[in-house]
Formats: sequence, structure tokens, C-alpha cells
Amino acid sequence: MIILVLNCGSSSIKYQLFDMTDRKVVAKGGIEKLGMKGSFLNHTKTNGQKVVFEGEILDHKSGIEYILGVLTSVKHGCLKSMEQIDAVGHRVVHGGERFSESAFLTDEIIEVVTKCSDLAPLHNPPNLKGIQAMEELIPGIAQVGVFDTAFHQTMEEYAYMYGIPYILYKKYGIRRYGFHGTSHRYVTKRACEILGVDYEKQRIISCHLGNGASIAAVKNGKSVDTSMGFTPIEGLIMGTRCGDLDVGVVTYIMEKEDLGIKTANTLFNKHAGMLGLTGVSSDMREIEEAKKNGNERAKLALDMYNYKVKKYIGSYMAAMNGLDILIMTGGIGENAAITRAGVCSELEGLGIEIDQEKNNSVRGKEAEISAPASKVKVLVVPTNEELMIALDTEKIVRERVKS
Amino acid sequence: MSSDIIYEPIEDFGLSKKNKSKTLFSKIGIIGCGLVGQNFARVASFYGMEVVFIEINEEKIKEAYISIGKILDHRIEHWGMTDSEKRAILTRIKGTLDYNDLAGCDFVVEAIRAIDRGGKIKERKEIFRKVEEVVDPECIIATNSTTIVITELASELQHKERCISMHFFVSSPEARIVEVVKGLYTSEETYQKVCKFVQLINRKIVPVVESAGLVSVRIFVVLLNEACEILMEGIALMDDIDQTMKIGYGMRMGPFEIADKIGLDKIVRWMDNIYNEFGDQKYKPNPIVRRLVRAKHLGMDYGEGFYKYDENGNRITEKGGNC
Repeated sequence: MIILVLNCGSSSIKYQLFDMTDRKVVAKGGIEKLGMKGSFLNHTKTNGQKVVFEGEILDHKSGIEYILGVLTSVKHGCLKSMEQIDAVGHRVVHGGERFSESAFLTDEIIEVVTKCSDLAPLHNPPNLKGIQAMEELIPGIAQVGVFDTAFHQTMEEYAYMYGIPYILYKKYGIRRYGFHGTSHRYVTKRACEILGVDYEKQRIISCHLGNGASIAAVKNGKSVDTSMGFTPIEGLIMGTRCGDLDVGVVTYIMEKEDLGIKTANTLFNKHAGMLGLTGVSSDMREIEEAKKNGNERAKLALDMYNYKVKKYIGSYMAAMNGLDILIMTGGIGENAAITRAGVCSELEGLGIEIDQEKNNSVRGKEAEISAPASKVKVLVVPTNEELMIALDTEKIVRERVKS
Repeated sequence: MSSDIIYEPIEDFGLSKKNKSKTLFSKIGIIGCGLVGQNFARVASFYGMEVVFIEINEEKIKEAYISIGKILDHRIEHWGMTDSEKRAILTRIKGTLDYNDLAGCDFVVEAIRAIDRGGKIKERKEIFRKVEEVVDPECIIATNSTTIVITELASELQHKERCISMHFFVSSPEARIVEVVKGLYTSEETYQKVCKFVQLINRKIVPVVESAGLVSVRIFVVLLNEACEILMEGIALMDDIDQTMKIGYGMRMGPFEIADKIGLDKIVRWMDNIYNEFGDQKYKPNPIVRRLVRAKHLGMDYGEGFYKYDENGNRITEKGGNC
């Protein structure tokens, strides 16, 4: 089965073409600056050759049209015709309370996804545009939506509600939804495969540490809690997002600095986090560099970052009454040995101990980094949301064909 | 490594080779980059459009850049924007002296300064003509005037149907509202396109029938005249009149504050134009306004209008205030 995985953002489209017989990526790439001057399409062919296509790309539909055009072209393509694509899997950011797993996209389901746009006004509309464009370009093609929030729908009510008037939950659906679900689901499953243990019988914490960052507690194959909430700003300190913050601070700053809603939003989402703390960068590597050169605030920010992750690990261990597997993933989790070491330091009391040598040798590949004496297995598992989307799509389309 | 990358024009890879269209509004032209032009340039560029503005000399171009940069810096200092967003906005804006640089624009707005035009419609007509020489027939040509009627400006153009008038607020550039005026010649297509443009820059459209002063200016000049009247009669102090309107009616600025921000010379011209059009006394500039203009107390940009200001445009507070 040939599956195209699409991730449509507001001004970008990322794609990967999978051949599911061996789960290999046949081609991949992305469009950037969609609808703006200087838009281009980046394509990597099966043999690794990179091609850049330059020119005006108006909207999602013409963007996807060009992607299909490139994939089926004689010169740079890998498909004879569009009909070779069996199904399309879409990343959809918000599935609200309606989707606890990936869904085959029928007209009714698309209608429901549209209703979820209220909760993710920046993300869901471009996702939907991608779905509609695909239907127009290859009418009747099988399409599957894979939701960022779906995996966390297993959270208990006491874990997802906020301590605010209940009526606001009823009126606007204000509750914790969590994000990065596809990534957490992939790495937790994958970790169990690597260790050869039963997914349904493990207590796992997965730390997705990238530019955006979240932690999930997964017990017996189900997400029981996660650090991101109603929006992706809650939880850990991130590149430019503040993470957990006393709401009193928000209203106080808004009053003192005379800020409107939009500006406050920019402040906490773009000027805050590691960037705001250090004044250096939102990039961990540059902050580490600054710390080496004696930058005190860089050191403070890094200490805060690790401490926050640690606290979440501790609280999720309490939530699950213990821990079997701890996973590090995302750009930072996969590559930054220093952060991994910092997060896991002085957790022996909780049964978490890493092997420094192993840890230092791992960059962007699957590996166990816990010390032999560690009660908790600590693993690095590079995330692969695209593969997860492709696998879901394959499964759902096959089931439909059967029934 | 970069030499290993192959570059291709994307048009050769469309499914249907015919579609080589372009975005509805990818390049915007602005004639005159004073306060209105700058706001327009900044907002259009913020929403991802390429902007070309025409000025009369290099100095003015520099001034415009500095002024736009200042506003963006102010936004950054107040947490509303990031440095990289500022860089992106500025790189999309290009100042020039040459009308030929407007070629390829989808939309051109005339926003020349009041002082430069001396209230004459002739100059605007000349600008419209020069613009029409370099742009495509589909390009929309608009004026930001409120008192000059677009039908008259359009009347001498080859493609009259593409002319339209729109009014951005000078006193509060962040106000998310734009008055859009259809002239006698304006085609429905042009109007719809402009509405689309206004939506793209995230503003609300107020459709207004062609009429001097539109809604905003016509109401404002009467408000200011009445405020001056109250002041002259000694009924209340200037600052208290402003406070009454601000606190009592929830206006962001009082009538005198708004006037200083817009510029009194501009307001007098508005008033004269509207008075000439309708002949009603209530539009005639109040003697206080005339007196201030004669004294060159033209408002915030001049350090003094109804109130006094320092070089950063901050009001120097004096108690009372009788003008």
C-alpha cells in the first residue's frame, strides 16, 4: 500500500510518501512560505537527491497539486500516476472530545473536524484545507485524520478538568486536551517493542522535548496525564513559551504593561520560555554554548528547564504509583545528552539512573541509556509521527475494505 | 553541499500546466509615505504582502523607513512582536522614487501628504495618470482621501472601473476598521476585491456611499467644533472636556487629543471641503482651530496643538488648559 502523509500548516505543507510493504519512505519534502513571495517546494528523492522547486505557490490546493505533480513527474518523481496512491493520512491538530483515535474521513467526519476548529483556530483550518484539496484533486481517495489530541482522550475527568467554573467547560469545552499525542503514542509503543515487554502492562513517562515540549504519563497503554493543556502553552518551559504560570502573573503584567489580549498572547508564546529567560536564543545548543562562556542567565534557564521536567516526572510517578520506562524524544530529547543527564540526575531515590557513557554516545538513535542498577529503564526513542500516521491510515483503510 | 541541490521552476510540475496565476494581492504600491502611507505599508507587509512606496526624495524615503522601524521597535518593546518578525516586515517594504517600480502591483493606494498636495485635486489626478501608465489593467487604484470624491479622480482614467476610495484611520492605525467607498464608475469586481484585501489585513469593512467626509470625518469635525465652542464659552476646561468623552463615553482619546494626533491643518482642510460640499455652518472651522493653524500649532508632530508635546510625542501635562 502506498500512503501519502500530509501535515498542512498555515503557510507550510510537509509530506512523506510511504511504501507500507517495508514501511520505507519513498520520497519526502515540504513547501514553505505558502501564499507568500519566495515560496518553494523542497523535495528529497528516493536516492537522497535534493531538488528545490521555486515559484509562486498560491494556496494549499495548488501546493498539494505541485506535490502530486512532482511525485508523478518523469524527471524527479517515483510514481507512474496519482492512482498509485492508495490513501492519504493527515495530521490534524485538534480533535476535541469527539476523536479518541484516528478516523476515516467521510463528509460527516469532516464536518465534525470543522466544528473542532474553534478550539484550534490557527491549526485546524489549514489541516482541513489539505483534506479538501486532496478530495478535489483525487476525488474519492481514501483519507484518514490522525489527531494530536486523540491519544490523551483516555485521561480521567479529574486529570483533565481545570479548577474553574464548570459552566465554562460546558460552554466552551475548556479543559485539558494535551498535544503531541501521535508522538507520545509512537515512542511509548516503540519502547515496548525494543524492550520486548507488554505495552498494556507498563507505566511509561515519555518526554517529548523539542521546540514545543510536553510530557505524558502512559499507564497500561493509555495516556493518563500530559503536561500541555487547553493550548500548547501549558506545562514545561519551552523555546519561546512560558509553560506553567500563575494566572495572577498574566493579569498583573497585562495591567502594568498595558497589554491587549493579542500582545499578551505574543508575550507568553513568543517572547517567553528559554528565549525570554536567557535573552540569548530559543535554541538549546546556543544556550549551552552561552553557559560554557559563563553566562549566568543561561545557566539559570537550563537549571530551570531540567528542574521542571524532573518535577513532572516525579508527579507522574505519583499519578501512576511508580514507573517502568522513561523515554526521551523530540529534537532535544533525542540529541542533547546534557539535558538528558540534567533531567535524570539525582533521581536514584526514585529508581532512575543513567549510564553516563552510554548517554553521551547517543545522538538521534534508539538506545537504552539506563545504568544496569536502574530500576526504571531509560530509553532514547526518536519520534516518527509520520510513520505513526501512515500506520494508522493503513490499518483504518484495510479495516474498511474488509467490512 | 548546495551544489548538489537541483533547482527547478515549479510551474513545469503542475498537474494542469495552465495555472500560472498569482496571489490576488502579492504586491502593493503606495504613493506618498507619510503617516497614512507608513501605516498602510506596515500593515500590508505584516500580512505578508510585498510593498513598494513612492516618495519625492531620498530623504523622505529614509524618514519613512526610520519611522516604520520606530513603530515596530515600540511594538517589540511592548511584547507585541519579535525581532525576526520586524526584519521580515522591513525586508518586504521597498522605497523608491521611480513610478516604474509599481509595475506588477495588484493594488496601488495614493496617500500623499496634505501639505504636499495643497488641497488640489489636480495633483492627485496626475498621480492616478502616472500610476495607470505602469500598472496592469486589473490593478486597483485607490485613494485614501475622505473629502475628495473618487468619481472625479477616476473620470480621466482609461480604466475608470478600477478606482475606489478607502479610508484608514490616522489617529489610531490599529483600529481594525476601514471605510470603503464605491464611486460612480467603480465596478462590483473592484469593490469585491478591495473588500477581500481589507479582510486579508484583518480589518472590518464599512461600506460607505460616496459623500464628502464619509462617516468618520463628518462626525468628528462636528464633534471637534462643538468641543471648541464649549471651550470658547468657558463652560469647561480642555482636559476636562477630553476626559468627559473618554471616561463618560468610552472613547480612547478625547476630541482635542484626536485633533492633535491627526494634525490641525489637515482637519481645517477637511472642514473646508465638507463645508463647501454641504454648506452647513456646523462644518465651518471653529475660530480656535483657525487660530492654532495660523500660529503653526498644528498638533503632536509640531510639538504643539491644543496641547504641548515633547519630541517623542508625549504630552507635557499642564494643569487646566484654556488654549
